[in-house]
Amino acid sequence: MASLSIVVPFIFLLLVNWCFARPLYPLPSRRNDRNRRPLQTFRPYNVAHRGSNGEIPEESAASYMKAIEEGADFIEADILATKDGVLICSHDVNLDDTTDIHDHKEFADRKRTYEVQAVNITGYFSVDFTLEELKSLRLKQRYPFRDQQYNGMYSIITFEEFISIALDAPRVVGIYPEIKNPVFINQRVKWPGGKKYEDKFVETLKKYGYRGSYMSKEWLKQPAFIQSFAPTSLIYISNQTNIPKVFLIDDVNIPTQDTNQSYQEITSDKYLDFIKEYVVGIGPWKDNLVPVSGNYLETPSDLVARAHVRNLQVHPYTFRNENQFLHFNFSEDPYKEYDYWINKVGVDGLFTDFAGSLHQFQEWTNPLSSGEEDAHKLLDRIASMISKFKHA
Amino acid sequence: MASPSRCVFPFIFMLFLVGCSSRSLYPLPNRRHNGNRQPLQTFRPYNIAHRGSNGEIPEETTAAYKRAIEEGTDFIETDILASKDGVLISFHDVYLDDTTDIAEHEEFINRKRTYEVQGSNFTGYFVVDFTLKELKSLRVKQRYPFRDQQYNGKFSIITFEEFISIALDADRIVGIYPEMKNPVFINQRVKWPDGKKFEDKFVEILKKYRYRGSYMSKEWLKQPAFIQSFAPTSLLYISNQTDLPKILLIDDVNMPTQDTNQSYWEITSDKYLDFIKEYIVGIGPWKDTLVTASDNYLRKPTDLVARAHARNLQVHPYTFRNENQFLHFNFSQDPYKEFDYWINEIGVDGLFTDFTGSLHQFQEWTSPLSTGERDANKLLDKIVFMISKFKTK
Repeated sequence: MASLSIVVPFIFLLLVNWCFARPLYPLPSRRNDRNRRPLQTFRPYNVAHRGSNGEIPEESAASYMKAIEEGADFIEADILATKDGVLICSHDVNLDDTTDIHDHKEFADRKRTYEVQAVNITGYFSVDFTLEELKSLRLKQRYPFRDQQYNGMYSIITFEEFISIALDAPRVVGIYPEIKNPVFINQRVKWPGGKKYEDKFVETLKKYGYRGSYMSKEWLKQPAFIQSFAPTSLIYISNQTNIPKVFLIDDVNIPTQDTNQSYQEITSDKYLDFIKEYVVGIGPWKDNLVPVSGNYLETPSDLVARAHVRNLQVHPYTFRNENQFLHFNFSEDPYKEYDYWINKVGVDGLFTDFAGSLHQFQEWTNPLSSGEEDAHKLLDRIASMISKFKHA
Repeated sequence: MASPSRCVFPFIFMLFLVGCSSRSLYPLPNRRHNGNRQPLQTFRPYNIAHRGSNGEIPEETTAAYKRAIEEGTDFIETDILASKDGVLISFHDVYLDDTTDIAEHEEFINRKRTYEVQGSNFTGYFVVDFTLKELKSLRVKQRYPFRDQQYNGKFSIITFEEFISIALDADRIVGIYPEMKNPVFINQRVKWPDGKKFEDKFVEILKKYRYRGSYMSKEWLKQPAFIQSFAPTSLLYISNQTDLPKILLIDDVNMPTQDTNQSYWEITSDKYLDFIKEYIVGIGPWKDTLVTASDNYLRKPTDLVARAHARNLQVHPYTFRNENQFLHFNFSQDPYKEFDYWINEIGVDGLFTDFTGSLHQFQEWTSPLSTGERDANKLLDKIVFMISKFKTK
């Protein structure tokens, strides 16, 4: 029976091995991962705002996959939390405008009125639902003038699912998650171990290997920007991760949700000098960068200049193709708007609902490779033609 | 006093005559380069500025046409109607209500009428009830509320001759694309001396400014023009007056022709196309009849483009607009995607667009006029030079 005492543990070890061991070979679909096309870094970043939500309901898996297909550099998401503390991708704190919550009679009694950034909102709030309950809802297109055909097809996804979509792309695609409404979330959702929302946010990123300062080797493998309207959240996580952070700036009449500072204060030279130690850039509302009157853009403010002089990037939001969002300078042509912001104002990234259009514009005006490849080929041929005669 | 004064006086009179009537022997300073004007491009689909750049500036005004030329259009398009005193004007609607400030002119308040136009009754102020002078006192406004209103009240209606001058004065060759608009209605309401009708006056003006020549002929390329109309008899009528290329416009599927009362199905049949192709070089259909749409998605193309092309007929669909309410969902609210589909997948030969600047930009990015070729030629020259240095050794 001695052999048994060897065989049984052996079989047990085999079982353990099967259950836990990772395959020694990469999955067939991943065999070319080492040669994945890297993130482009020579022209302004194309940030797919909530995915390709111009075509597909925002923050759904489909809208992110569409954005990747259309050539986005980064996919962007707003991170909130469920009642049971799971981080999810959803922009509004309430579910009314982008889900079919009103069709779910079983949740009719969950309607609440909460104060969010000093405004009372009545509706169904994601912080009052568990993940399982949220997953039973279906997303819909927020704007009536956009394609409604996908309404009811997709569900809310988690932060982790969002990350998987980026990591699974056939080329290197960055993520651009937002620490969204942290004040509200931390009031309503509690985590064990005294952790708060920002801690769980960074934990999730670290779990998937996101790290590294801007343009470092690790960062280029898995690019990411962390964005937030709340400066204290960005400062709070600054010693937990060196992933680059971007400070979002709201409209001129909205103070910061955590420090109650005015637009004037947070865009002052003094404040920029302070915050630049923690962030690599700012994300302002584009109508504050260049003021508007009579639906025409006027002279740009000096915010871009003052940011750039402090080596801060500028990633304005949000670019949309529909003519109601285009100022008259642009002849109802979204490509004219891209041209203005990229070539005249000189921004470093753009949050757009139409990553496909921005990608097309950039490919036409500032393509990734063809010109260079062709030029190199031509030079090689010229060199060989000349060398033939040189040796004669 | 006899001989000198008798010579001097007639001499001064003759000088006076010469001074008033002779043309200058030298070209005007700003026209000195006219011999080298950039010719009309003919290698890619025509960019037709529908009513000028009316996406930005009120339609059919001088400013809208000059803007279109500045933005790179190939042809400026206009609709020709007639005033009460028989002057041909550039104006789309038979009534003034939607695109002018007529409602603010109390002096014309008693001119309101109800007329039947193409089977429907319209009530309003009709151009045929106003003389040119009266029309010139009105001011044009932007038709669509969602477009720029800042030019309202600044511009007036222009005449066919003024429209032609804008094209001829451009710093490169720009074609014209005038329409014989509502000829049935015009001929009912406006009479010209000598038994002439609207179509006669239309061609007369074109000839006055030396527009002539069949499609792609030498004369035509110097002053390109297409004549368009929804009324086939008008096109047939002028066919022996001018050989300028003609385009038969085709309305929506439920609209019969105004002059022959033929249905859409009849005038797009093989039999009719075989007949009409002797008189026209192409058709101008409403684009939603070329490719069926449902739920705001384009589905399958009809065979009209194929059947037209098989008869060597060009296809110039109307009208392309940038605003998302006019874009089907296939195009992701992106007008450039729409241009790409029609030019590269359907293969049309010209496009009527309210946004000639956007179409020009799309064409320059995807099939540019010259750069590639110029650069390649320069590069080849440099290579030859580099090689020749070593060759002679």
